[in-house]
Amino acid sequence: MALFRKKEIATNEFNQVIVGTSLTKEAWKRLKKNKLAVVGGVIVIIYTLIALCASLLPIYPYDEAITVHRNLRPSLTKTAGDLMLEQEMKNLFFQAWRQGRLELSDEEDAQIEAWVMESKTNQVWDLVYARGMEALEAGSFEWNSSEQSRIDRMLNNIETETQITIDKVSVVYEGKTMNIEDMSYEELRGLYASLLGVDENTLEESLVNEVRSAVSNELRSKDSTLSGEDLDSSVEMEMDALGEDGIHDRASTNIIGYIEQIAQRSANSDIQAMIDSGSMTFPYEGTFDLSNGLHVELEVTKMHERRYIFGTDYLGRDLLSRIIYGSQVSIAVGIVGTVTSIFIGILVGSLAGYLGGKVDYYLMRFVDIMYGLPYMLLVIICMAIFGRQIVNLFFALALVSWLTIARMVRGQIMSLKNQEYVEAARSMGAGTMHIIFKHMIPNSLSIIIVYSTIRIPAFIMQESFLSFLGLGVQAPYASWGSLIGDAVSSMALYPYKLIIPSIVMVIFLFSMNFLGDGLRDAFDPQTKNQL
Amino acid sequence: MENKEVILSVKNLRQHFPIDGGGLFKKTIGYIRAVDGISFDVYKGETVGIVGESGCGKSTTVRSIAQLYKPTTGQVIFHGVDLCTADKDTLLKERRNIQMIFQDPYASLDPRMTVRNIILEPLRIYNKRNLLDKNYTEEELDEKVKDLMEKVGINKAFVNRYPHEFSGGQRQRIGIARALALNPEIILADEPVSALDVSIQAQILNLISDIQKEMGVTFIFIAHDLGVIQHISHRVIVMYLGKIMEISSSDELYSNPLHPYTQALLSAAPIPDPKLERTRQRIVLEGDVPSPDKERHCCYFYDRCSKRMDKCACAVPPMFDCGNNHHVACFLYDDKPVAEPADDTPTEGELKLRKKTENKAEN
Ligand SMILES: Nc1ncnc2c1ncn2[C@@H]1O[C@H](COP(=O)(O)OP(=O)(O)O)[C@@H](O)[C@H]1O
Ligand code: SF4
Ligand SMILES: [Mg+2]
Repeated sequence: MALFRKKEIATNEFNQVIVGTSLTKEAWKRLKKNKLAVVGGVIVIIYTLIALCASLLPIYPYDEAITVHRNLRPSLTKTAGDLMLEQEMKNLFFQAWRQGRLELSDEEDAQIEAWVMESKTNQVWDLVYARGMEALEAGSFEWNSSEQSRIDRMLNNIETETQITIDKVSVVYEGKTMNIEDMSYEELRGLYASLLGVDENTLEESLVNEVRSAVSNELRSKDSTLSGEDLDSSVEMEMDALGEDGIHDRASTNIIGYIEQIAQRSANSDIQAMIDSGSMTFPYEGTFDLSNGLHVELEVTKMHERRYIFGTDYLGRDLLSRIIYGSQVSIAVGIVGTVTSIFIGILVGSLAGYLGGKVDYYLMRFVDIMYGLPYMLLVIICMAIFGRQIVNLFFALALVSWLTIARMVRGQIMSLKNQEYVEAARSMGAGTMHIIFKHMIPNSLSIIIVYSTIRIPAFIMQESFLSFLGLGVQAPYASWGSLIGDAVSSMALYPYKLIIPSIVMVIFLFSMNFLGDGLRDAFDPQTKNQL
Repeated sequence: MENKEVILSVKNLRQHFPIDGGGLFKKTIGYIRAVDGISFDVYKGETVGIVGESGCGKSTTVRSIAQLYKPTTGQVIFHGVDLCTADKDTLLKERRNIQMIFQDPYASLDPRMTVRNIILEPLRIYNKRNLLDKNYTEEELDEKVKDLMEKVGINKAFVNRYPHEFSGGQRQRIGIARALALNPEIILADEPVSALDVSIQAQILNLISDIQKEMGVTFIFIAHDLGVIQHISHRVIVMYLGKIMEISSSDELYSNPLHPYTQALLSAAPIPDPKLERTRQRIVLEGDVPSPDKERHCCYFYDRCSKRMDKCACAVPPMFDCGNNHHVACFLYDDKPVAEPADDTPTEGELKLRKKTENKAEN
């Protein structure tokens, strides 16, 4: 309806207000024409969305290590159980070949010997497995009894082993049903004491001691030279800093973990009984009311039915989930680092550019000196001093990388300061703030945006480099760099651990660069091929 | 002319820019004397043209008048107030009546603002500080923009367009509308047409003379093209190396140029009549404008003058009054009465610098 009504008034030159196309609008149009940049932008958005929604995605926890699922190769079709069995059989076939029970042709024997010399384990396994399976089918090979029993045991485990995930533990406490996570420290301590059947005061003591030894461990892992009295006094200082509330908070977290363990242990027999009677269907979700008064909501899944499409790492953690959570860290480093460095850079650069004179001179000499210092060394020193935490990594990177942007903004402001339209504004009596906010910032924004998109990949690379060296994020957290770094040592045996994170990272960096290039060309058509 | 009211009076204005030396602390090692002691009056309602080769300080003169630079010495008296020493509020109040039009129509409009915002910028600035006759509402400002656009000949429909969507001539019109927004008494136009095509130059010049006739605005108009100046101005100031060489009414100057520099400039301008053009005598000026970075105690034109005499090297010529409001700074006319003595005393900064070098020489 509105469409028709609009047309009732004839449009002509005299009543029509022609809407102009701003430079930003034109840049947007140019950007949309650049296919590569659009694809890059879409990929970047997808990555960011996945990273942001990581906790909502149906993936396994990134820090859950299942030891028997170590080093499983990526597979779309096979479950973890299949892969475990396959790996077991590969080992057994190889032993059988060694013992001469699995007979291959002479060339193949020679080939395997050569591969073993070159430690091309994967090829050996694949060949032996293929031939072994053929031989089994043809009946020319049979497992001996110990091998057969190993395989049977594994098959049985795969069939029966379950994993229990506790969703919620609640208890009837003073007439109310309460989730233990919502309980206060005193309530938790009382509950735990009654569960263990010990005195609350002795429990309190041991809980505090537990926190103390945890603190002591943390301190030692930060500084391995700490020992003796120094260690004791710093532990006491740390404990004082935590205060009663802090200690109780940490103790509460510990108690919740213990109670969950107790709940799971008590529920185990019930679950086992259900499995044995065959009344449990997987995945099973249910509530168990335990004899000790706990109510536990839990989920029971068949552990070996998991699928790892990107495989697992050396501790049996899902690589897909680690990559997704790793991209959270990597992208955050890119964005936070860029934002911080741009903030500092704009501040310093615009001060120097606008004030000029001595301020400009000393600020820029400072920047020059910083430029001269070895960049990575500074970051490494920062990390060593302030501890290897993600937050410190952000700031260490940002602190040394604002230099270029400061120079750039300074140049931009200086050239804008002498633009005729700024002089025009001054001749109209405009104040400094008016000039900065109405003229200088809008006119430097595009170059800052462009520069930011180009900076983000650089930050991600630097973070990866540091993580690769072991100075970046610490376990159990992951980043693209740390995943790659972890994979390098077992590169020959498990190449997928190296290749997959690398591809994921390269795609993102490429997209970001294409997007940055596209933005630059769009915003600033003249400076194509520069910067 | 005498009975006319003086609106702006420039007295011994100097604009020296310090030259920074290299080294760690960027000491000042000298001064560029962009404008070096000029005095003139501007009468209400007239157009004063300023001519001269490029680099002779024309732009610096108007910028100093508009207080874009703080002048080194001298006075700019407007409405009886010396703008150079006025406090911030007075300056703001008076500045409202002095607006500028710039040379480059591409650089003088903010590319990220719409025409509407560009034209309204001065109004908004003054409106916010309550320095206008009343407080304008957005609707009234809208009306104002439309008026102004009509006045300078831009389609009103284009208010929301951006500068890059206009041609050079149209942009210059926008610049003029912006200068007119505050109803100034005097407009300083710094080569407003030299960046435009010849055909468009004429349109803009006509627009400026129309505005002047209609609104009675006083113009100071810079050009390095003598034809343009003759077309538009009542009086002409000829500048060289930061100094005024000759001031006279436009007709007088073109029919009877007195200063050797003016004569050279005029002889270099082509005459639109082919017969006259063939017989035109050209006085060729040798070399370029020398660098304005040193003190001179001689005629500023001495290096390139074809009629130089010995005494020209000894002193700065004062302004001689040759009658008919025609003033010349040249010793060829030293039989005429002196209208204004020459002043070549160094500035404070230069004295300091000189002392320093003397001290160094002694050590
Ligand atoms: N902001 C400035 N700093 C230093 N030198 C300047 C500045 N502005 C102009 N100059 C110098 O002053 C002289 C006169 O310049 P200008 O007034 O722009 O000449 P014109 O407009 O007549 O071409 C030139 O030598 C120029 O280099
Ligand atoms: S004073 Fe002397 S040097 Fe200067 S213009 Fe006149 S004649 Fe030439
Ligand atoms: Mg100029």
